[in-house]
Amino acid sequence: MEDVTSRKSKASSAPPPNSNNSRAGGASKYLSNLPSRGLFSSTVISSNPGGMRVYVCDHDTSPPEDQVISTNQTNILIRSLTLKKQKSDSSSKDVKRKATTDNAKGKRAAERTVDGRASAKKPYMIPRSSPTERSSGRTSDKDFQGLTVEKLRVLLRGRGLSTKGKKDELISRLRNDNVDGEA
Amino acid sequence: MRSYYCWVEFINVGILKVGTVKTFVRVYDTRTRDFFLCSSGKKRKTVAKREGKLRKCTRIEIHVINAQGLQPVLDVPLYGRIATLELFRPHGEAQDSLFIATERYKFCVLQWDAETSDLVTRAAGDVSDRIGRPTDNGQIGIIDPDCRLIGLHLYDGLFKVIPFDNRGQLKEAFNIRLEELQVLDIKFLFGCSKPTIVVLYQDNKDARHVKTYEVALKEKDFVEGPWSQNNLDNGAGLLIPVPMPLGGVIIIGEETIVYCSATAFKAIPTRPSITRAYGRVDADGSRYLLSDNSGLLHLLVITHEKERVTGLKIEHLGETSIASTISYLDNAIVYVGSSFGDSQLIKLNLHPDAKGSYVEVVDRYVNLGPIVDFCVVDLERQGQGQVVTCSGAYKDGSLRIVRNGIGINEQASVELQGIKGMWSLRVSTDDPYDTFLVVSFISETRTLAMNSDDELEETEIEGFDSQVQTLFCHDAANNQLVQVTASSVRLVSSTSRDLLDEWKAPSGFSVNVATANSTQVLLATGGGNLVYLEICYSKLTEVKHAKLEYEVSCLDINPIGENPNFSQLAAVGMWTDMSVQIFSLPSLDLITKEHLGGEIIPRSVLLCAFEGVSYLLCALGDGHLFNFLLNMSTGELTDRKKVSLGTQPITLRTFSSKSTTHVFAASDRPTVIYSSNKKLLYSNVNLKEVSYMCPFNSAAFPDSLAIAKEGELTIGTIDDIQKLHIRSIPLGEHAKRICHQEQSRTFAICSMKYFQTSTDESEMHFVRLLDDQTFDFISTYPLDTYEFGCSILSCSFADDSNVYYCVGTAYVLPEENEPSKGRILVFIVEDGKLQLIAEKETKGAVYSLNAFNGKLLAAINQKIHLYKWMLRDEGSRELQLECGHHGHILALYVQTRGDFIVVGDLMKSISLLIYKHEEGAIEERARDYNANWMTAVEILDDDIYLGAENNFNLFTVRKNSEGATDEERARLEAVGEYHLGESVNRFRHGSLVMRLPDSDVGQIPTVIFGTVNGAIGVIASLSHEHYLFLEKLQSNLVKVIKGVGGLSHEQWRSFNNEKKTADAKNFLDGDLIESFLDLSRNRMEEISKAMDVSVEELCKRVEEMTRLH
Repeated sequence: MEDVTSRKSKASSAPPPNSNNSRAGGASKYLSNLPSRGLFSSTVISSNPGGMRVYVCDHDTSPPEDQVISTNQTNILIRSLTLKKQKSDSSSKDVKRKATTDNAKGKRAAERTVDGRASAKKPYMIPRSSPTERSSGRTSDKDFQGLTVEKLRVLLRGRGLSTKGKKDELISRLRNDNVDGEA
Repeated sequence: MRSYYCWVEFINVGILKVGTVKTFVRVYDTRTRDFFLCSSGKKRKTVAKREGKLRKCTRIEIHVINAQGLQPVLDVPLYGRIATLELFRPHGEAQDSLFIATERYKFCVLQWDAETSDLVTRAAGDVSDRIGRPTDNGQIGIIDPDCRLIGLHLYDGLFKVIPFDNRGQLKEAFNIRLEELQVLDIKFLFGCSKPTIVVLYQDNKDARHVKTYEVALKEKDFVEGPWSQNNLDNGAGLLIPVPMPLGGVIIIGEETIVYCSATAFKAIPTRPSITRAYGRVDADGSRYLLSDNSGLLHLLVITHEKERVTGLKIEHLGETSIASTISYLDNAIVYVGSSFGDSQLIKLNLHPDAKGSYVEVVDRYVNLGPIVDFCVVDLERQGQGQVVTCSGAYKDGSLRIVRNGIGINEQASVELQGIKGMWSLRVSTDDPYDTFLVVSFISETRTLAMNSDDELEETEIEGFDSQVQTLFCHDAANNQLVQVTASSVRLVSSTSRDLLDEWKAPSGFSVNVATANSTQVLLATGGGNLVYLEICYSKLTEVKHAKLEYEVSCLDINPIGENPNFSQLAAVGMWTDMSVQIFSLPSLDLITKEHLGGEIIPRSVLLCAFEGVSYLLCALGDGHLFNFLLNMSTGELTDRKKVSLGTQPITLRTFSSKSTTHVFAASDRPTVIYSSNKKLLYSNVNLKEVSYMCPFNSAAFPDSLAIAKEGELTIGTIDDIQKLHIRSIPLGEHAKRICHQEQSRTFAICSMKYFQTSTDESEMHFVRLLDDQTFDFISTYPLDTYEFGCSILSCSFADDSNVYYCVGTAYVLPEENEPSKGRILVFIVEDGKLQLIAEKETKGAVYSLNAFNGKLLAAINQKIHLYKWMLRDEGSRELQLECGHHGHILALYVQTRGDFIVVGDLMKSISLLIYKHEEGAIEERARDYNANWMTAVEILDDDIYLGAENNFNLFTVRKNSEGATDEERARLEAVGEYHLGESVNRFRHGSLVMRLPDSDVGQIPTVIFGTVNGAIGVIASLSHEHYLFLEKLQSNLVKVIKGVGGLSHEQWRSFNNEKKTADAKNFLDGDLIESFLDLSRNRMEEISKAMDVSVEELCKRVEEMTRLH
């Protein structure tokens, strides 16, 4: 114990054990230079088991007003869509306002259509600020969202693609075809 | 009729139960003081084979680490079960903050205010989501090392982020979709420019992988992280992030340990084991301590050249308790927190000891958890219960004997009748030991002394008058002794033993009461005459005389001021006006007069000081005790409090033990009064009745007390002055059931022993017999392979005078979901051996056994069976099935009372059955239709049944005999509900304290419970009137005592399970109510005003309740 403590005092910023002397057996070499800040330095370690006071808290414990934290209840999908929109449409305040109203509705069943229609209504206000090809992709994407499954199938058939699957799959297939076509 | 109002409280069984230790550094003053916190982490346990439960605490302990070791500071109760506890240091702050999230989705950030010693709430909130499936693998809460955000994983597939702003304030939280559904662990990586988490998860083919994600705070989304690693060890379960400059993460598996970062991948094989806990040693993260499920401690070293990791090394260090948490504290000292055994403070030695271990245990902290079963017994037959628990698990299994009150270890005793008083005297003033023991009788005084053979023998002090009763004796300064008798005060030399001087009472008057210290004598003669003498060298001087209005009943001049030989104050108790008065000395001027009220005279007064605070204690003839704070300079008495100690007159005496002064109150219920944290505590002494006590510190019996009781004089030493005494009997195996048999003075336990070899694990089950005094195994009956002991009972049968142990077992076969075979074994204890008398095979596990009308009632899987004890033709006995009852999912817990049977079902709450003698059948009478998953049941009285369920709630149900319709009568109505926050494994009737039949509290029936966390608590049934009073007090206290971190008491105690949340009803939180006594006087007065009840009365009522445990 003596030599451990004395070693401690001079090696408070102990270098990590070196790998070059790792041949020798036993854990001793790894147990040298254990960090110390001078606590537990007494030779007799005693802890007083009694005398622990039970904390009785009679002061106000409510947190500062602005530090009452709650979770943003916006649906994750809506949030990401609005964030995306904000990003791409940062110049257009109009859209932003629209986005917040969408936000307020926040109904899962309606989210796609509402979102889709909202942007479908004013697709042509956007292009100025965003790159053309992306916006065209977006536009057609949004348009697809507004179409019924029947119409999507017609489009797919027209391009010689499979008409099987859910609406989302149909849309993605069309979208892929669009992107490929443009590229 | 008994009521269903319940008082619930925990008995404090020690500190540092389990702990994740966090170091709380503060840099306010230059002294190196660290704060050290402790609570349980998220550790799995499997006590009941049925479900693995998570152990979580509801308290935080704060300790200071200094050169001497750990010093406890505060024990902070929290209104929640702590799910995560993390420390962090916001940017630019000098002090750490503590983040706590509770299981019920509340969180708070606390900071320690050093000036006021308060915990300040910095932030708080609710992190629950309306939808989401709670995680199976426990809630995870982590904090980014650069303090940019707090991450929480509470629901499958969601990662909640609470971001910090640059001032260290929290902002609105948001959820991110996490693709991985079966998350095992999440940690933040060190040294990443964007906060990056590493996720250890299991895919749907049960393969385990790690993946990293960057948290994009602006986009509120994840971005694929720098690296990932697929197909890890199948048992990978723990991530250790490595600080810079190395960075990366260590993944601990069952067979390999892997270091992983964007640039390096190193792996080493290990001996197969499940690592449960780790602790980082160096700040640069090059060394870690790992502990596995058999308590072996390893050192993991990352070897590296500069910042390049070259490999991993693992070294075995030694064995500790099975660790749940490991914290490297400082200077080679490590705290090992255990859920299965005692927590330890260990020292890592540089060189191995003879057994090759580098581990040295420096200190142990008692942990009773998990309490699987316990029984309440009165081993010493003193009318006081002791709890014997089955504690710990695996190799750390033990029996613990928990005893309340202070014991006296008898050293010597003499039969002596009619003792009227006792005093110890020294031969010379500077002798450290007492030599003489003066014992006074009604018409004589005898002196005992230690002779050269260290025996007590009768001797004589010539200068003393031994023909009369002695009223008081004391050592006086300058080798003198003082004796006060009815007629005179005698000053005697302690060396020559000759009379030096004598003060004679005036003729016609006799001394009634007297007291003295080494330089002063105060006595009262008839007619209220108070005489004050001073002792000089060989001389007694009458200094002052005063005439009081009434007779004096008791007095005291114990010097507690600056001068240890001279008191400036005298306390005097009076007849007739029932007052206590303080006089100044030597002038005998009246300073203070306090009327005690009532009609009972004060019998003993005492001036005393504890922890630097002066008190006046005043004991009455009816066992009540007043205490006042005494102002030494003005003599003023404040903070009057009254408690009831017994029913007979009390005599107060000071004594010292371990160089601290305490007060012994001798009465029909002897009590030691001591002080802890400047609060007076009362602990009963485990003796029936003590008439007198005096300290007797002789060379042969150091630090002893002489005690006069029931016709004998005993000399003995006293236990440590504390409320609870816990004795530990290590078994090295896991005791699961325990039962005591009065007749054979034995305990029987069902236990399980693990055998671990390098290749596989096996377990063996035993029935063992233990002596109830020595706790040695005296006989063992091994059970079959795969056979578990499930229940044990000591009982006797109709028409048979023998007492048997009955053991119920189950064959737990690996391929079966539910046992389909078991046995009931009937043993008799003969010559200290277990003899198998009868055995009966059953079609399932025998979960419970009860003695029932001279028969045996067994709960076997979904059935309840009643067995008769039949005599066969050839004279042997057998169990024969009489009748049964079906209709449970699993009848796990059964209690009986008369013909009634109360069954606690696995998932169908409580039902009430009745045995019909005429028909010989068991029928269902009523049931509780709630779907509670039960963990214990007990019958409180004929109509009220108590249950505990697995969401940590308690509830009571009532039989509705007066219901108008059959339907109503068949329903057990839930009358009480309460969230305990602990998982109860067993209820037992009984009490840890000695009951006085004629005191109020003695009438209150109590039930003791033991929990998975190792807590023991009491549930007391209160009368309606008593409940209303305390309920009102509780509702007022809630307004004053706030929940730490802004957590609400009402929400915490509300009954809560998956199906419903309902406010607590008809249960009182005893711990909260008792904290009334810790409040400042102002706060007490606030409550007293709101309640319209005096503070004194409130204190007395609450103090009474504290005597329940």
